[in-house]
Amino acid sequence: MRKLTQWLIAASFPALLLANNSMAAEKGSALKNDSIRFEPYADAKVTGSLSRGDSLEIISKKGAWLQVKSKKSAGWVRLLSVKRGSSSSSSQVGGVLAAASGRAGTGQVVSTTGIRGLSAEELKAAKFNEVEVKTLESYTQSAEQGRQFAKSGKLKTVSFPNLKAVPNQTAVNGGSK
Amino acid sequence: MNLTSPTKFRKNILISTVLASLLAVSMTSAAFNIGDALKDAAKKQIEQQTGQTETPQTPATDSQNTTTTTNNAANASTTDSQPTINWKSPSKEEEIALGREITGNLLGAAPLVKDEALQKYVNSVGRWVASQSERPNLPWHFGVIESDDLNAFSAPGGYVMITKGLYRKMSNEAQLAGVLGHEIGHVVAKHQLKVLQKQQLLNLGASFLSSKMGKDNKIISKAIGSGAEISARSLDKNAEFEADRLGLSYAARSGYEPFGLTDILQILGQTNPNDNSVALLFKTHPLPDERLASLGDSVGNKLDNMTNGKTLENRFYKLKN
Repeated sequence: MRKLTQWLIAASFPALLLANNSMAAEKGSALKNDSIRFEPYADAKVTGSLSRGDSLEIISKKGAWLQVKSKKSAGWVRLLSVKRGSSSSSSQVGGVLAAASGRAGTGQVVSTTGIRGLSAEELKAAKFNEVEVKTLESYTQSAEQGRQFAKSGKLKTVSFPNLKAVPNQTAVNGGSK
Repeated sequence: MNLTSPTKFRKNILISTVLASLLAVSMTSAAFNIGDALKDAAKKQIEQQTGQTETPQTPATDSQNTTTTTNNAANASTTDSQPTINWKSPSKEEEIALGREITGNLLGAAPLVKDEALQKYVNSVGRWVASQSERPNLPWHFGVIESDDLNAFSAPGGYVMITKGLYRKMSNEAQLAGVLGHEIGHVVAKHQLKVLQKQQLLNLGASFLSSKMGKDNKIISKAIGSGAEISARSLDKNAEFEADRLGLSYAARSGYEPFGLTDILQILGQTNPNDNSVALLFKTHPLPDERLASLGDSVGNKLDNMTNGKTLENRFYKLKN
C-alpha cells in the first residue's frame, strides 16, 4: 500500500509541476530549518532540506504536513515549519528574519486611532459599562450546555497532555533534525 | 493611633510596612514569579516618593516596636478601603471581581455585537474548550465585541472577548476554539492576575507614601489602573507562548482539528503590520512567525497521529454583517 502511494505521489509530480505554472500556487517560506520528506510521515525518507527563509510553493496539505516545492527540492514538510503567504510581500516588512530577531521591528508600528480600532489610548479612557456586562453574563453557557453542544457536533474529548516549552528555541539554533 | 503622629514618624512606619509586605512577597516569589525585579522596582519607587534610600537602618531594638506599628498601619489601610482584596493570594471570588471590572471597562470601549445567536454560539464553543482546561469550574464568559481590530482579550476569573474583526477572519469552529483556547490559557495560568498583583504591590507602596489612600476607596479600580488599560498592556513574551501551547492543547483535547490556532496565526502573519487593525495586537504580542515557530518546536511529532479532529465549518456561525 505504502509502495503504491509512493508511486502515485512520484507519478503525480510532473503533473503538479505543470499545474503550478498555470495555477497561482500558494506561496510560503520556511520558518525554520527542517527536512523535506518523501511522504508525510516522520520516518519517511529525507529527500531534501529547507533553510529558514527559503521561499517555497505549497502544493497540498495532509494532517500535520504540507507538500511543498522549493528551488532545491520537493516533498513533505511539517506544517508548522512553514509560513504561508508570499515572501515578497513579507520581505517589505522584514518578514521571517525580522520575526526571528524578536520584536525589534514592531517599535516602528504607528498606533493611530482607526475607525473602531481599539488603541491603547481608547482602552485607557474606557468607562465601566454595567449594562454590557449584564448582557454578557446573560449569554453564559453551563458546563452541561457545553457538553450537549459538543455532542451535537460529534466532538469527542481526546487525551492530549499540555504541550511543554522546548528549551532551545528555533530562533537560536534552527531546530532542524 | 498613628494618625496624629508627625509626618516623619509616619513615613518610617509606612516604609516598614512596604518592606514587610515585600518580605512576605519574596517568600512566595516562586509562586508568583515576581522575583527581584519587583523588589528593585518597589525600592526605586519608595526612593522616589521619599527622597531617601531604604537601606534597613532600623536598629535591632526597634524591631519589636516596628512589628506592632506595621500591623496597625496594615489594619488601618484595610478598613479604610472597601472592598479589599487579598493580594498575596486572591480568592477565586476576588479574581472574578477583578475580571468583571476589567471586562466592564473593555466593554465600555467596545460594546458587544448585538447578535444573541452569535454570542451564544461563541459561549458554547468557549465553554466546551474551557471544560477541558485545568480550571473547568470558573464561570466562563465569552463575547464578541464591536471592533474591526484583530484582537482578543481575557481577564482574570474567566472573561474572554474577541473582536468582530478577528471573528471575521475565521472560517471554521476549530479556529475559534484555538483562539478562545489561547485566551483560556491566559486565565488558567493567571497571567493577567500576576501582573495585577505586581502592579498592586507597587501602588500600595506609592499610595501609602503619598498619603492618597484615604481619597480613593475603590481599591479594585485603583488596582487595574484606568479603564481597560490592563488589556492594552503586554504580557511577558513567554506568557504568550505558553498561552499558545495551552490553547492548542485545549482545542485538541476538545476534539477539534488542532491547527485552528495556527491557521489564525498564519492569517495574522499575512496581515500588513502597518495596518491599524493589528497595531495593538502586534505591539502586545510576539510576531505571528515567532509564535508559529515556537509552537512548532513544542509540537514536534506530537500531532502526527491526531487525525480525527473536527473543523466543523458547516455549523460555524456566519456573521450577519
